[in-house]
Amino acid sequence: MYGGGYIQEEKQEATSQIDDAQKLAEFEARIDRGEKIEPHDWMPADYRKQLIRMIEQHAHSEVIGALPEGTWITRAPGFRRKLALIAKVQDEIGHAHLLYSAAETLGKSREQMINDLLTGKSKYSNVFNYPAKTWADVTVIGFLIDAGAIVNQVANSKGSYGPYCRALERICYEESFHLKQGHDAFITLATGTKAQHDMLQDALNRWWKPIMHFHGPPDKISEHTAKLMRWKVKMATNDDMRNQFLDMYVPKILEIGITIPDPNLKKNEATGQWEFSDPDWDEFKRVINGDGPCNAERLAVRQYVEEHGKWVRTAMMNPNQKVVIPFA
Amino acid sequence: MSKIPLNTPVLDPRIKRVDLESTYGTTAIGENEHWISWEVFHQKKRGDQHVHVGIVHAPDAQLALLFAKEQFGRRLACVNLWVTKSSDIFSFSYDDEDIFDNATAPEKQYREAAGFKVMEKINRYKKSKQKA
Amino acid sequence: MADDELIYGHRMSEWTGMGPIMEEDIAYSSMAQDKIGHALANYSILEKEFQTANPDKLAFFRKENEMMNCQLVELSNHEYDFSLVRHFLFDHADFIRYEMLSTSSFAPLAQLSKKIKGELKYHVLHADTWLTRLGNATDESHVRMQSALNELWNYALGIFEPSDFEAQLIAEKIFDGEKVLQQKWIEKISPIIEKANLKIPTSSSPVYGGRKGYHTDQLQPLLTEMAEVISSEAEGTEW
Repeated sequence: MYGGGYIQEEKQEATSQIDDAQKLAEFEARIDRGEKIEPHDWMPADYRKQLIRMIEQHAHSEVIGALPEGTWITRAPGFRRKLALIAKVQDEIGHAHLLYSAAETLGKSREQMINDLLTGKSKYSNVFNYPAKTWADVTVIGFLIDAGAIVNQVANSKGSYGPYCRALERICYEESFHLKQGHDAFITLATGTKAQHDMLQDALNRWWKPIMHFHGPPDKISEHTAKLMRWKVKMATNDDMRNQFLDMYVPKILEIGITIPDPNLKKNEATGQWEFSDPDWDEFKRVINGDGPCNAERLAVRQYVEEHGKWVRTAMMNPNQKVVIPFA
Repeated sequence: MSKIPLNTPVLDPRIKRVDLESTYGTTAIGENEHWISWEVFHQKKRGDQHVHVGIVHAPDAQLALLFAKEQFGRRLACVNLWVTKSSDIFSFSYDDEDIFDNATAPEKQYREAAGFKVMEKINRYKKSKQKA
Repeated sequence: MADDELIYGHRMSEWTGMGPIMEEDIAYSSMAQDKIGHALANYSILEKEFQTANPDKLAFFRKENEMMNCQLVELSNHEYDFSLVRHFLFDHADFIRYEMLSTSSFAPLAQLSKKIKGELKYHVLHADTWLTRLGNATDESHVRMQSALNELWNYALGIFEPSDFEAQLIAEKIFDGEKVLQQKWIEKISPIIEKANLKIPTSSSPVYGGRKGYHTDQLQPLLTEMAEVISSEAEGTEW
């Protein structure tokens, strides 16, 4: 029996390689049996590292993802949209909270993660580096970006790490509201006045490229990816997820008279795969590396917010409290 | 860094109102600045068990309860919440999972209802009476 | 009441995604939704009982001088100290107002009051918890709380600006009046302020005018911003 969590420094046990080989075999057998890994289990260092990286990025994406939609929070048209948008952005912060908590169980503190976000050391989803220029952008994000995220999150919720799966189950439940309210707002514009329709078409034209980037660059099945998939850290390839997204949502866009700005987009019925123009993977790389339209602003806002909340947090700190890693 | 290389104009009116440059490149979160963690237990309705649902960070129990209410009582049906410091939770190690192995083993059927074939015996008795 | 809740809820919603810590960010957002929801409920009562325009029109298409909110709620958020002290001052008044209305002779308000009692109770609990902690925490947090209280006090007294219908409301047992409300409010908040180690400013001169359509220069920009999208199309267009 042990208690009181464990101290943050104690991240990895030093064990001999022979021990490790046996533990690795047991670990992999557990995953093969469909069992979950829990926080205090032995796990390969690389499993821990990759999970932290992935969950942390996911959490950052929720925090930063609150900003493009937040752009319109004070301008949402009418009570219904105003309330729904506040609730939605609130959920994103709630999701970030759940995800940071899940990542913390792996031994990285929330403070460390946020610092890594502020310095640009850890990444977040690339799409949030694009501006939300009009109200229609909010509906495109709410409908299609959330839809893309759901494909990803439903897959990951069947992964191997218990706390991440539990967080994702709750997140997916809430995302279904996000998707529905986004779809509703999207349809309202598509089928509304000409100006509303045009505003939506313009927004989709601008967002299509980031949407195609959303699930990441095409897969090169490396040994690394194979290992992550065997460990159920990664549950589907980027291409598979993108394909699934296009399967589900292209018809929903076209059925209400909105067009997709890629003449080459079509499903190859023989292979079941969607074909499309090169969505400019060089741009994707540039934006990831900091050179996107809104990268600087997004980080500057987070820095501003953290800095101006600092007096509240430090006023309430109690140095005598024992800090441990959350349990589950 | 004093100047932010903003590539596009700021669109969020809330952000336009603040001086973004004032803090750029200077912010760092101190260790434990986000307070300690509390484990949250949620009771869906009277009569149910409290069930662990996650954690919140808070400086004290009262705020932990308020935050738990928001994060875990906001969207789920709820009548009550408990919080306790993560550091006050004690548990077995998963390495010792095998000590629970035989809880439901066939050899322990003597403490299960299914381990006792009462009807069989009654029927046998009734049958023997009929014959007699 | 509806205008107070709308404008105040709008100000609170500006904190969404910008709070000092995630947990508190979520709390503020919930209260913003509650307040805007209460505004909607009140505008709906007006529409149903008095055949006014619909809630969207009342909220998004009125002019500054037609808004009857007290000036306290329209002031921009400033830092968290300012928002928190306003939250404390306003929400106690809001809580007591609805408590008084729970026995109103005007049934729709009495019903609404019962329905949202739990939400308001939580708002007050949230405000009290924070105020007493930050008032007592560090020198900086104490000074911040006290300065915000000093700055907001006269505006808070403006909550209780009597309307022209005060006597009628009291006579018809709809509402016991702003004077009674203010008295109850002072009695309720004084011990909490003391517990927070803060002092109520000794001199006071209430900022009136809001209930008659006179506002600070901070309301019009809020209204313009709030209506930017909805007013880009003809009234009644679905969004």
